[in-house]
Order: sequence, then structure tokens, then C-alpha cells
Amino acid sequence: MKNGKLKAGTIAAYLFLIIYSVVSISPLVIVLSSSFRKPENMTSPLKLFIEFSMESYRTAFTKMGFMTEFANSLITTAGSVIVIVLIATMASYPIARIKRKSSRFLYYFFIAGLVIPAQMVIVPVAQVFGRLNIPNSRFTPMIMFITCSLPFSTFLFTGFMKGVPVEIEEVAYMEGASLWTRYFKVVFPLLKPATVSCVITQGLWIWNDYFFPMVFVSKRAHYSLPVGMIQFLGDKENPAQWNVLFASCVLCALPLIVVFMLLQKQFVNGIAAGAVKG
Amino acid sequence: MRKKLRGASLVMPDRMYLFVVPALLLFLVFWVYPVLQMFFYSVTNFNGIDYNYDFVGIKNFRRILEDGSLVNATKNTLIYTVVNVLCTNVLGLVLALLLNLSIKAKGLFRTICYIPALFSAIVVGFIWSYVYMPGSGMISSVMDTIGLDGSSFNLIGNFKWALYGIIIVDIWKNVGTTMIIYLAGLQTIDESLVEAGKIDGASEWELIRKIKLPLISATITINVVLSIIGGLKAFDYAFIMTNGGPGKSTQTLMFVIFQTAFNNQMMGKASAYSVVSFVLIIAITIGMLIFMNKREVEL
Amino acid sequence: MKKKMISLLLACSMLGTLITGCGSAEPATSDGGAATQQTTETAKADTPDNASSDEQITLTMMFSGVATEGDFETEVLPKLVKEKFPNIDLEVTKLPDDQYYTALKTKLASGECPDIILVQPKYAGSNSVIELAKAGYLLDVSDLEFLDKAGDAAKEAFSYDGKVYGVAQGVSILGTYYNKKMFEDNNLTVPKTWDEFLNCCEVLKNAGIQPIVMGDKDAYVMQFGLYQIAANEIYPQNGNYDDQLRTGETHFTDEGTWDKVLSMYGELYEKGYVIDSSLGLGAAQSIQMFVDGEAAMTFDGSFNASALCAAGAVDFERGYFPLPAVNGDTYASMAPGGGPAVYSGTKHPDEVKAILNYWFDGESPVYQAFASTGNVLITYGYGADQNDPMYDEFMSLYNQGKAWYWCNQAWPAGTENEMEALFGSMIGGQGTTVPDITNGMQNKLEELLDQ
Repeated sequence: MKNGKLKAGTIAAYLFLIIYSVVSISPLVIVLSSSFRKPENMTSPLKLFIEFSMESYRTAFTKMGFMTEFANSLITTAGSVIVIVLIATMASYPIARIKRKSSRFLYYFFIAGLVIPAQMVIVPVAQVFGRLNIPNSRFTPMIMFITCSLPFSTFLFTGFMKGVPVEIEEVAYMEGASLWTRYFKVVFPLLKPATVSCVITQGLWIWNDYFFPMVFVSKRAHYSLPVGMIQFLGDKENPAQWNVLFASCVLCALPLIVVFMLLQKQFVNGIAAGAVKG
Repeated sequence: MRKKLRGASLVMPDRMYLFVVPALLLFLVFWVYPVLQMFFYSVTNFNGIDYNYDFVGIKNFRRILEDGSLVNATKNTLIYTVVNVLCTNVLGLVLALLLNLSIKAKGLFRTICYIPALFSAIVVGFIWSYVYMPGSGMISSVMDTIGLDGSSFNLIGNFKWALYGIIIVDIWKNVGTTMIIYLAGLQTIDESLVEAGKIDGASEWELIRKIKLPLISATITINVVLSIIGGLKAFDYAFIMTNGGPGKSTQTLMFVIFQTAFNNQMMGKASAYSVVSFVLIIAITIGMLIFMNKREVEL
Repeated sequence: MKKKMISLLLACSMLGTLITGCGSAEPATSDGGAATQQTTETAKADTPDNASSDEQITLTMMFSGVATEGDFETEVLPKLVKEKFPNIDLEVTKLPDDQYYTALKTKLASGECPDIILVQPKYAGSNSVIELAKAGYLLDVSDLEFLDKAGDAAKEAFSYDGKVYGVAQGVSILGTYYNKKMFEDNNLTVPKTWDEFLNCCEVLKNAGIQPIVMGDKDAYVMQFGLYQIAANEIYPQNGNYDDQLRTGETHFTDEGTWDKVLSMYGELYEKGYVIDSSLGLGAAQSIQMFVDGEAAMTFDGSFNASALCAAGAVDFERGYFPLPAVNGDTYASMAPGGGPAVYSGTKHPDEVKAILNYWFDGESPVYQAFASTGNVLITYGYGADQNDPMYDEFMSLYNQGKAWYWCNQAWPAGTENEMEALFGSMIGGQGTTVPDITNGMQNKLEELLDQ
């Protein structure tokens, strides 16, 4: 009796998972299947994988300037993430360690930034850039990525740092280590799970963000992948363009998919760690 | 002695605050200052390009109240948030609970659920524009194949449903992340507690409600707060897929701010929306945090 | 305590220098980046020589629209400019309209604006020449040599305070594209009056053909039909209607003006002449449907001619006529098209002007390529006598003075958004009435003028 009930439950579970997975993945399957068609093949996209041609990819690849855009995305993302990890851990250090109102205030001050969307302040931000004579380049969006990431990253690292026992530092202090050495040699290495989490969540966001690069990059040679995609936006409802568009969609997401497949475990733990511990 | 060591800034001297300086400077210059600037613009008639603007008092605020646009945008944003929070979390939690059972191909299901999260909003907007397209889009074509009238399907062009249409896209993209966070929460549960519950003859539902959910209440809090913030900041799909339309039916607060500032050239009025949104978002987030914390303690 | 303060101040000032250090380092890195990229991009060109006067320079240009295969602005223009001016690299970006406005505004705010930008005539849109010139963002280009050839209408449309701030790209038309084959199959001729037009729609509808397709999901396309009607119903009666809107002598709510225009256009939706799902269709998709022979007509501009004449699922000949929105003489809706203007902060004003002089001189290879895009009507120089015969009827109306500008060129930007949103609500069955729309437009107008 009990066994039968359990079995029914398991079947229901599988059924639910399968239905959800099929519904969820179907748009992506169609995208993938159509991207392998020749650009002029306009038979119903529902007929899956009836043709395998790289022609749409070739067109999309050159039309996007994939290699340049890929390199820009990589530079922007990697550069931003490195700086974020560095200055966010540094900022979290006193916030987590000094137990006073001033540090609590700083904590909430940073976190409050989490709720402000970029659309709201973009014009004043642009004015600040103008006043500081910061020119548009592939590095300009990085400043905003780093700034906008601070609330979340500080929140994450502070949470983690509170879990690092103070005693370890007391020992280091007794041994005469300077503040910087203590932070860099003792505390920082212990933050590895949080660092992985920060790199993954923030890297994912920065790689995919189109808003700041769209606004703060002028030259085509400095475009990142999502901004390159914006150029196609007007074409999105044009069936004659679908196969090429779908190919460019795949190209745009491909680097992340590859990274995800390779580092699946770190990804899953990183995303979860950020939320659960923080 | 020990207390003194900690508190009296020998091990943790005030000098430590220097570590905050780089982050703080960036934050002040590129975030806090622009926000204050925006607050200031809300009482001017600045148009975004001409710096000869005048002080107009609370006129902008009166206007957005009077012309009904604030009410409409707030309503849409709240609907977006509530539906997004409920659906993302319920679906994410259910998927996590199922994947936490001993089933086969767990990794495959998890990957499939998560993959949409890897795509840029721009790409997601593209793909779903195709899915929703009337006539030859994916849903229309599927309806045609199974003998329904596909040409009647026009979700994005429908005043009542367009908003839900874009919420679905957001949910689709975010469920995977939510699910992974819940899954991690569930995995921290001590198996012996669940076993004890089973021995006491609790049903699966009772196990979930009485043991599992209370134990992951912190995870629930974080997921709910994240999706609330995500919902209140909703912009991408209204911008990419519907442009606020049809009519004004998918105009969210962030979209209205954007449109007012960039298409209507009314930076002052856009700032007034921003100030109201800012207050609203802060109030809701804090309210939610207090409520959830209280519940956590009670549970 | 005092000591603490001093050390804090010291720290701050130290950091201050650090930051300015970073600040000054930034441009250097990006300049270096630009230089390397220049050399790699123009492998053929000489290595940049900073000291000499014909130093290798990069000019940037930003336009709105979608770059197509062999696009004039993004591909042909830079190549031809390079041929004529080997020391100039012209980098052209095209962004879809909304993204273009956003990018333009933030780039102006940050002082990092491209050298050449697209502006719209008079008050039209967020990149209207008057608003930008008023704010001091545009360079006075009254001394460009070809302006006289372009004619007074073109100069007038881009003038502010007596100076010219932009260049019209020929003349653009709003009209009605139709499928000649479908018209012939149903024994229809080009309608000359509103009643004839309605009759055409009725005949087509009864024959099982969708008379009109519009991509109203991109609400701006509503202007394509509405302005044609306004050109027939409003301006012939009162040519100063829009000027008087600004002074308060006329109102959108005046009887027999916009109420009439909106109800005439609404009738096309009410009777099912315009496709039911229009609010879910994008502009590009509606063009595709017309091209694939799924509808007999669509309202669109000459600027989209190449897309509308592209090969589709079926072959047919296209025609183009001005919407006869009155039972009398038809007027066309035509205006000098948006065109390039020069950012006042450009570091190379002379080079930019040289490019514009070359581009619009009426005979250069650039001008020829530009004229051959077929997206605008050429009024002088190469190709002026070779405009597509499709445009003949419009040209003759234009020459008779029976053409009116596009309404939004005279309105403060944002008025048309309100009109589109409210009209969308009306055709979407939200209970919005014509008076609701005209009231909304009037309120919006007053609010915008009040700025």
C-alpha cells in the first residue's frame, strides 16, 4: 500500500519534471535547430533539425564581428570581476570586523544601493563621466559594473567574513603581521567559496548586460556581445532573418554555456553559496 | 581582557576603515552622487539636454499623480512583482523539492531548468519575440499543428495579457537560479530530522510543511527578497519586447522613467517618478525583510 | 581625536592624488587602445604620425536604423570616405531608434558624443535639430557649400535662430504601398478619394484578402497612416494649425481637426480592413507579410522602400500612392528627411565638414551611392531625374505645393507617443474614445510646452 503510493508519487514527480523541462527547453531547441539551417530555408521552424549547415553561423559570425566582440566581453567581464573581488573584500573586511554603529551604517549604506536600478540614474552618471573627463571606451562600462556590483558583493563578503573566526587573526596579530598581510594572507584565502560565488554571479550579469556598454561605448571595435546583438534588434520579427538571428543568439550565449558545462559544480555551488550564506 | 582586545581596536583598529575607501569612493562618486542629483532634478524642468533649467517645486510630482501615469505604472509594477515572486518561488521550490528526491537524471533536469539563466536579456527578448509572434511564431505554429486556430493567438498584442506575457519570460529565465538556491537550502537539512518525522508517521506533505520549509526559511527569505527586487526593477522585457504597449498596458515604473527621460525629454518628470519608485522600493523591501525575519523567528 | 582627523585628511588627500592619477591614466590607456585598433584596422594605411598635419584621425558617426547587407551608412560610406580622405577613418554605428535616443542623450551628457549624429527636422523626436541646437550641442554648418543646391525647404527644416544645423537627406514620403497584382485581380484601380479607398478595402476584404497590414506593436507606425490623413484633413484648411497649437489659438480638441483624423483612421480598424492582430505585430514583421503577399496594402515611408520591395514568398509588382484621405484633392505627406549634423564638441570640425561637402555635393561617388539606395527622393544632382517612377505621383504633388510636412515635426517630442498609446487603447478595445485621445494629446502638448 505504502509502496504503491510512493511509486505513484515518483511517477508524478518524473512527469512534472519532464513536462516542465520540455516546455522550458523547447524555445531553445527551436533556436538551435533553426540556426543550423541555411539563411534562406524558411520552412516551419517546428520541423527540427532537418538541415545541418554552418552558413547562418558564418553570416552571423562576420556580421557581428564575433571575435572582437568576444574579446571585448572577455576583457570587460574579467577586468570588472577582478576589481570587484579585490575592493569588495577589502570593503567588507572592516565592516565585518569592527563591531560598531559606524560599520553597521556602512553595511546598510552599501546594501541600499541594491535597490536602485541603473535606468533611474543614467543621465546624472553620464554627467559625472563628463565632468571627470572620462572618455567612452571599452573600460568605461567597467566603472559602472564595478560600482553597481558593490552592494551585492559587499553584502556577500561581509556575510562570509563574519563566519571566519577572529581567533585566527588574533594569532596573526600576536605574530606581528600588519593589517594588510592579515587581510591578504589570512582572511582573503578563507573567502574562496564567497569569491567563487561572486565571480560567477557577477560575471554572469556583466557578461550579459547590454545597458552600460550600449550607453558608454561609442566605437564599434569596443562593442561587447550583447551590444552587438542590439544591432539586430530591429530585425527580430523578420522571418527572413531568423536563421541568422538564431545563430547569433547561440553564438552570444555559447561562451557561457561552455563555461557552465565545464564548471557545472562550481556554478551550482557558487550561486547557492551566495544566497544561502549571505 | 579578551573583550578589551577585540573592542579596543588593537587587533581591529580604526585604521581598518581605510580598506573601505576605494569601494566607498566609487560608490559615492558614481552612485550616491548621481542619485542625489536625480533627487534634485525632480524639482526642476530639466529636459536632459539643455542646462538652462528652472526650479519648479513639486509640479512634477503633482503631474504624475494627476495624469494617472504613476498609478498605471505602479499597478503594472506591483502586478509584475507579485506574479513574479509567487510563480518563480513556488515553481522553483517545487522543482527543488522534486530534484531533492532520489530520482534519476537529476543533473540533466537541473541543467535544463538552469540554462535559460545563462542567456542575456537581449537574446531572451529575441527568442520570446519569436515564441509569441502572432501568425508564424512558435506558439501559433504549435497551435496550428494540433488543430487549434493559431492565428487567434496574440498574447503580446492583447491589453489584458501582454503584461503576463512578459512576466512569463522573466519567470522562465529566473526559475533555474531560484531552484538551485532552494536545492542548496534543502541539502543543508539534517536527514535525521526528516527520518524522525517519518517514524512519527508524518505524510510527505506534513514533512515538507512542518520540517523542511521551516528549516529553509532563511533561503525562502533570500529568494523572495531577490525576486521582489527583480520585479520592482522590471524593465528589460517591457523595453525589448513590447515597448510598453499595447497602449500603456506593459509600462512598468522603470519603463516609464526611461521613456519620460529619453523619448519625452522630461528629465525632471522622470526624476520625480524615480524618487517615488525609490521610496516605494525601499519601503517594500524593508517591510518584506521585517515581515520575513519575524516569520523566521516564529517558525 | 585631532590627530585622528589629521591622519584621515592625509589619507583622503593621498587617495585624492591616487584617484586623479587613475583619472589621467585612463585616457592614455584608451588612446593607446584606439591607436592599436586603428593600425590593425587600417593595415593598408600608413602608420599614424602624430606630428604631421595629415595625422591619421578617426571620426565617429551614429545613426538610427537597422544595418542591412551592404548598408550605405555602415559599409559603403566609410569605405568611400577612406578612398577620398586616406587619413580619415569613419566609424559608423547604427542603433535601433530607442537605443539610439538613449545612447545619444547619455553621450551628450558625458561629453563623448560622436562627431556626426542623425538629427530630425524641426521639433521631431528626441533628436530634433531645434532642441539640440538650442542646447548648444550642434555646430553651425551654414557655410556648407551644397546647401543652396538642396533648396530652401531643406535649409528651413534644419534651421534654428537663422543658422543651419543639419543636412536634409533628400525628401521622404509617407504613403500607401500596394500589391498591384491583387488590385488587378480584383479589378481595382488606385483610389482617388476616401470613399474609393474604403471601397477598395471592402472589395479586397470580401475577396478574402487582408486589405491592410500594420505592425502596431511598434506604435510609431501609427503615424504613417495618421499623418497622411492629417495632411489632407487639417493643413489644407489651416496651414498654421501647428504654430497656433503653440500659441493656444488652436487645440487638438477643435472640432473637425484631429477628432476627424482619428475617427477616419479608427474606421479602418473597426471595419477589419487593418489586420486584427496588428498590436502584436512588429514593424519588420508587417513589412514581411506585405512582401509575402499576405496583405494588399501597408502604410509606410519611402525610407523603408528597399525592405518593402525586397523579394518575398510571392512575386508581384509594388505601387505607392498618397492616401486620398478626403473626397477632394489629395495632398501628400512629405518632408525633408532626417540627416547628419555635427556635434559642436568635435575635435575635427573641418574634416567633418569636408566629408559632408563631399557626401552631398551632388556628384561624388558617395552621393551616387547615397542616391542609389532608393530610400529617399533626390532633389538635386546625380539621380534627381532617376527617382523610382513609383514616386512620380508624389513628386508632382510636391512640385504643385500639395504636400505637407509630418505632424510631429512641429510638435514637442512626446506628443506623438501619447497619441500612439491612446490610439492603441482605442483599437485594442479598451473603451478609449476619440475625444479621450484628443484630450490626452492636448494635455500632453500643454505639459510639454510648459517646460
